[in-house]
Amino acid sequence: MKRRSFVSWGTAGLVALCSAISVSLGAVVRFLTPSVFYEPPQTFKIGNPADFSYGPPTFLADEKIFVFRDPEKGFAVANAVCTHLGCTVGYFQSDESFHCPCHGSVFKADGTVQHGPAPRPLEWFEVTLARDGQLRVDKDHTVPASYRLVVSS
Amino acid sequence: MNPLRDAWQSIVRRDPLSTDKGKSELVFLNVWLHIHPAKVKKENLKVKHTFYLGFITFFLFLVLVTSGVALMFYYRPDAPQAYQDMKDLQFVVYLGSFLRNMHRWAAHGMVICVFLHMCRVFYTGSYKRPRQFNWVIGVVLFLLTLGLSFTGYLLPWDQLAFWAITVGTNIGSYAPLVGARIRELLLGGHTVGESALLRFYVLHVAVLPVLMTLLTMVHFWRVRKDGGLSRPVWKLKEEKSAQLVTIGAPVASAALAAVPASKDKTYGLMEVVTGKPIFETVSMEEEEDTVFSYPYAFFREGIALLVTVTTVMAVSLFWKAPLEELANPAKTPNPAKAPWYFLGLQELVSHSALLGGVIVPTLAVLALIAIPYIDSNPSRRPADRKWAIRAFTLFVVVNVVLIIVGTFFRGPGWAMVPPWVHITGAE
Repeated sequence: MKRRSFVSWGTAGLVALCSAISVSLGAVVRFLTPSVFYEPPQTFKIGNPADFSYGPPTFLADEKIFVFRDPEKGFAVANAVCTHLGCTVGYFQSDESFHCPCHGSVFKADGTVQHGPAPRPLEWFEVTLARDGQLRVDKDHTVPASYRLVVSS
Repeated sequence: MNPLRDAWQSIVRRDPLSTDKGKSELVFLNVWLHIHPAKVKKENLKVKHTFYLGFITFFLFLVLVTSGVALMFYYRPDAPQAYQDMKDLQFVVYLGSFLRNMHRWAAHGMVICVFLHMCRVFYTGSYKRPRQFNWVIGVVLFLLTLGLSFTGYLLPWDQLAFWAITVGTNIGSYAPLVGARIRELLLGGHTVGESALLRFYVLHVAVLPVLMTLLTMVHFWRVRKDGGLSRPVWKLKEEKSAQLVTIGAPVASAALAAVPASKDKTYGLMEVVTGKPIFETVSMEEEEDTVFSYPYAFFREGIALLVTVTTVMAVSLFWKAPLEELANPAKTPNPAKAPWYFLGLQELVSHSALLGGVIVPTLAVLALIAIPYIDSNPSRRPADRKWAIRAFTLFVVVNVVLIIVGTFFRGPGWAMVPPWVHITGAE
């Protein structure tokens, strides 16, 4: 075999090998990425407006959300998942703030970070009124902390 | 002709052990033992030189494989069934609780021993030429050990497991660009759930143990090829340190000149391989310092195995592996802590997630891997490498202090508490 053809065949072989490895690695990553997530739906109904009282927020454990109801402003839904490392925060009426049990992050009532290592404010989710009159929360759709759903009773 | 003797001879294929030839053949005609040299240096067998930490780590791995396979007979990686299986193991299965305790304590022991082994190798300068790459393999084995322990942590599916893995995987997700993607691949979803449990199980019982076994084989093989167990160089007389060199390995400096092969020896490969023989040669003086691996090394390794297994069994008799209530994604225990060996990172993460979750661990791993290549000082004597020893000691001390603070001094809300709170349960 001539040197020139050895080099060209060798290069072609190397390129083919690298391509095959890259494609295989890509296929492995794609294989490991689920095509369907069998997780709870991100949009769900939480009940009728009348089910929620005024005053301290209602904590829905399965959905990990706080539902606020204000007599004048209406409904707002806050994410109970801490933006630091995913622990579930608790709401303390005494100082009207959220406290994270894991690393001591404290969030004000509007979700902004008061102190602690949390890098971002708590998220607020869009809450709308479904056709059957129930409140519907969309976790895929975040809204500003000032967002309120006013329901005329 | 004695058929029984013939049959025995066909199995052992060696001369009687009463002869030197038989003692050598026991080692290199046996597939399980041939990783040993036929003879070892007497100095290397001393406990205070290596503390047998590498062996103990390996024996703990064997304990983990054995007890782990036993646990697999009763465990289903399916939530919440996994937790029920743990309860069965704890209270119903004969010896189930004991085996689980052994598995848990051996895992913690392995993390500690692999770290101590790394410290021993560093302080004796045993990562230096020609062992640089074996140090790198060792660092990867250390990471695999952490990975095995971490993936196993989720399997009981109790509150401890669920929240440790939630916090642990969220730490990783702070890595820029790829962090969230890696977390999704690892969990098979966006939160710790059934997919995560199955993935962690597969990693824990198949992928990581296979990688661990393969790399351990390479690690041992290289120890053997790089000149056997490394002994503290300050124990040797100046002139004798030259004899530590493996012929065929790159020669570091003039001070470590290769010992010429003895003319009295015959080398089987000489007729087909040109150049220097690739195996270790010993000078006549050094031969006086060596003993046969069988029985001297094997006996000590056997003792190390017995001590390791007995210690794990004794600890498992008196201390139970923790099992808290069933995992509840809605209720975070206060405080929620990652596994203890990640508490140093969690302590850093409690100040800055990017610093503790990404920058520090990445730099630490890169620095560990790079040590043998950065450290160009050929001397292994502590007096010649004060700064290297100081820097590594600082790394060890900072790690240990952070882990102690995270474990004993952090209470609800990650607030500082006195350490006895964890024992008395009250402030």
